[in-house]
Amino acid sequence: MNFPRFASLLRNLLHKQGEERELDEEVRAHEQLLVDENIQAGMNPQEARRQARLELGGVEQVKEQVREIRAGHLLETLFQDVRYAARMMRRSPAFTITAVLTLALGIGANTAVFSVVNAVLLRPLPYPDSDRLVQLWSTNPNTDHWGMWTAYPRFEDWRRQNTVFEEIATTRTWVINIEGSDHPESLLGVITSSQLLELLRVRPILGRGFLPEEDQPGHDHVILLSYGLWQRRFGSDPAVVGRTVNVGQENYGVIGVMPADFRFPPDLRASYRVDAWLPPAPDPSRDERVSNNYYTFARLKPGVTLAQAQAEMDAVSHGLAEKYDADRGLGVKVVSWQRQVGSEVRPALLILLGAISLVLLIACANVANLLLARGAVRQREAALRQALGAGHGRLIRQFMTESMLLAVCGGVAGLLLAYEGLHLFIRLAPDIPRLNETTMDPRVLIFSAALTLAAGLIFGVAPALQRLGTDSQGSLKESGHRFTSGATRARARNVLVVAEMALALMLLAGAGLLVRSFVRVQQVDPGFNAKNVLTAFVMLPPSKYPEPRRQAQFFYKVMERIASLPGVECAGAADSAPMLTNDTGPVSIEGHPVAPDEEKIETERPKITPDYFRAMGIPLLRGRTFTWADNEGSLAVAIINEAAARQYWPSEDAMGKRVKLEDGSAPVWRQIVGIVGDVREDGLIKAGRPEVYAPLLQAPVPYMALIVRTRTQPAALTAAVRQAVMAVDKDQPLFQVETMQQVVDDSVAGRRFQMALLAVFAALALGLAAIGIYGLISYTVNQRTHEIGIRMALGAKREDVLHLVVRHGMMLAIAGVVVGTVGALLLTRFLSGMLYGVGVNDPTTLLSVATLLIGVAALASYIPARRATRVDPMVALRYE
Amino acid sequence: MHLAPDQTNLLQGTLDMMILKSLALAEMHGLGISMRIEQITQGTFQVKPGSLFPALHRMEEEGWPVSHWGESENNRRAKFYRVTNAGRHQLEAETNRWSRIALAITRTLEAL
Repeated sequence: MNFPRFASLLRNLLHKQGEERELDEEVRAHEQLLVDENIQAGMNPQEARRQARLELGGVEQVKEQVREIRAGHLLETLFQDVRYAARMMRRSPAFTITAVLTLALGIGANTAVFSVVNAVLLRPLPYPDSDRLVQLWSTNPNTDHWGMWTAYPRFEDWRRQNTVFEEIATTRTWVINIEGSDHPESLLGVITSSQLLELLRVRPILGRGFLPEEDQPGHDHVILLSYGLWQRRFGSDPAVVGRTVNVGQENYGVIGVMPADFRFPPDLRASYRVDAWLPPAPDPSRDERVSNNYYTFARLKPGVTLAQAQAEMDAVSHGLAEKYDADRGLGVKVVSWQRQVGSEVRPALLILLGAISLVLLIACANVANLLLARGAVRQREAALRQALGAGHGRLIRQFMTESMLLAVCGGVAGLLLAYEGLHLFIRLAPDIPRLNETTMDPRVLIFSAALTLAAGLIFGVAPALQRLGTDSQGSLKESGHRFTSGATRARARNVLVVAEMALALMLLAGAGLLVRSFVRVQQVDPGFNAKNVLTAFVMLPPSKYPEPRRQAQFFYKVMERIASLPGVECAGAADSAPMLTNDTGPVSIEGHPVAPDEEKIETERPKITPDYFRAMGIPLLRGRTFTWADNEGSLAVAIINEAAARQYWPSEDAMGKRVKLEDGSAPVWRQIVGIVGDVREDGLIKAGRPEVYAPLLQAPVPYMALIVRTRTQPAALTAAVRQAVMAVDKDQPLFQVETMQQVVDDSVAGRRFQMALLAVFAALALGLAAIGIYGLISYTVNQRTHEIGIRMALGAKREDVLHLVVRHGMMLAIAGVVVGTVGALLLTRFLSGMLYGVGVNDPTTLLSVATLLIGVAALASYIPARRATRVDPMVALRYE
Repeated sequence: MHLAPDQTNLLQGTLDMMILKSLALAEMHGLGISMRIEQITQGTFQVKPGSLFPALHRMEEEGWPVSHWGESENNRRAKFYRVTNAGRHQLEAETNRWSRIALAITRTLEAL
């Protein structure tokens, strides 16, 4: 912009009144000069003035045309329009509050859901240059079942043989017992190879990270503390580095303290907290090539692509498969870690985001309809302004400004709503990895700003377009409110309501399907009885209990003590129990040898105490349960479940047959002495897997879940159970104490939350659509008061009027249901992964939500219809 | 033929050119300008106030004419416009452009 133009911009903006006065004077002076000219040309003064006016063509129009070319005109009219819009909003508070609240709900809910999507799916992992971080899964190409973790020795080969990773590390969560003071404590720790911190580019705030040789056997035990543990247990002592802590009866040297905001692994459930990181020394399985317990990830060297890394790892694992039996048939899959972390919840979150954006669309349609109704009333105002010199463009701009101001108010209110609602959302949400990182960061703010503008455009377009079709002369001539509302406008309003109905139906259908699935899931028999059961874990440190015999003895004593507690019905323990923990491993079936290139049979292999089935409420179907007499001196026995009997002995009787748990240490053939019922796993929807149970005394383990069936409130026995365990060994803490009911509830928490959220969204949609149809019918009834009066004067009965009005609503609802059903049939397939026991096109669900929608629409049209029947024909006719 | 120069590019430039040309000889008020244009085009162009004033104000913001209040020949108060150096350059540029266009059109017509 050149200087004179900039100067005049300033002048126009700063000295507006002076400019205006001068413009007015100039145009009037011009008019006067014209009059003078005309008089000189011989006209009489009256005629001269008339001709001058004709020539001028309207002082105000000329002035407006000049204003429009002025520098800063747009800016200036924007201020003017905003002020005007604000005045209009203040003048009709009911309209304004309705529209702003509707928008605030829509934008707020969208912002809240997006904040979660942003934290869980979009935001980079909380480590520098995290786009180069990848995860390495073991795969089995024959079974197309990828996603296995890997064994520590295999990881060491990967580390040695690859050239594509800057660093590579492997980790496993590990429960550690910190002893040596009054209260032993079980903590969640992470066992890791030595390059973890270099890989993550994170440094301890005190001390140092691991040295490369510290993950090798025979090295001194070292440990890194979390900030929280350092504060809690060591009083934030800066001299903690170099001290030793007693972990599972062994001394660990503290080498450092991690920053307060350090989180690893990043995809741990949000409620878990890791308190220590240590090399793999305490893990007895670290040398076993068959124990796939480790979670491996790496940092790509700069410039190396995912495909290059994949190619190299393919070659590496090919070489390993030649060399090791255990690696035969295994491959590697390299995936982006960022994508991996959110992968489980991604579909659910995206569906929620989609659903809530439909709600916002309905809200927009509602506001558009409100604006259209007002637009009709304001037609005279628009016509008047046009007569005073405002062009079409100017009027459309004015109406768009009003829409935008509404949207911005709704957006700001929505942001506040989201800010408040987010806490609630996070508290109610199930444990989603990274959920606790949810904040309203700039990306969220940009999202809601964009959403606000889009909403303003969407609902502002209809009323603005309506300006285009108006004719100022016609509107001005019409007498007040009696002009007919144009057919176009009526059609636009009907279309909007039909769209609302259709969108609401789609949401209702989705929510209905999830609700039905949830009911189905709740009806599933899990195969065990979760009522009145307390569960807790005990983990014996291998250093203190190196001999399997002593581990078994420990649990034997604990079981005895717990079983004799008052209020306890019976007590059992297992190292693999439904929804709590599992131990999958290979088994052999006698008489069914597995060919070398065939995959081994992998199954659940719980080691249990005799009363486990009773405590868990798993029914014994045939044979007998274990007793304490099934010990190392007696016949090796096993119990299987129905699924195992069906799968491994499809045409024979499994009783008396023999199985072997391939455990590495001289496995023995076990005779099957009983068959029990199947249990359901996570989320209750996984059907029972084959299980082969062995008695604890014949197959001791250091890590067991205690299952205590109580006569009363199970949680009340927590302290007594803890004491019973500590009476056997005062250093053994309980951890993860929960009731079984909690565990079961947690396992369906994700499903419940998603169902509840979608149901709330659908209810919101239904409410908004009902308001929409109610508003439209009320408006129409008002517009048609005169006509209804005439009809009644001519003999129409109240029922006829009722019928006339309700039919309009019903037509809209039915049109909406038809369109919505098509939409629902197209969209519900995205839900297929989340449904249980119902098809995506479940007719019952569709029928019931359609009925619900039509019912609500009928009610929403009935209320204004009743008002219509009370029209007094005389009043209506005199109204003219 | 009566033309009301309006917003099309060609004609807008033309209106600017005609206004600047009128002002090149002497300063004038708005009515003087429109009468002058009508006179020199022998009534072909009649510049109504609805076109004249927006054009004048736009050009003034570009700095081509400057304005001041003065007295008309019959002692009426009126706003007078006077062309600036920048305005003369603009007139020259517009004139050249117009000559090129006129020449091109003439040639086109002769060729047919």
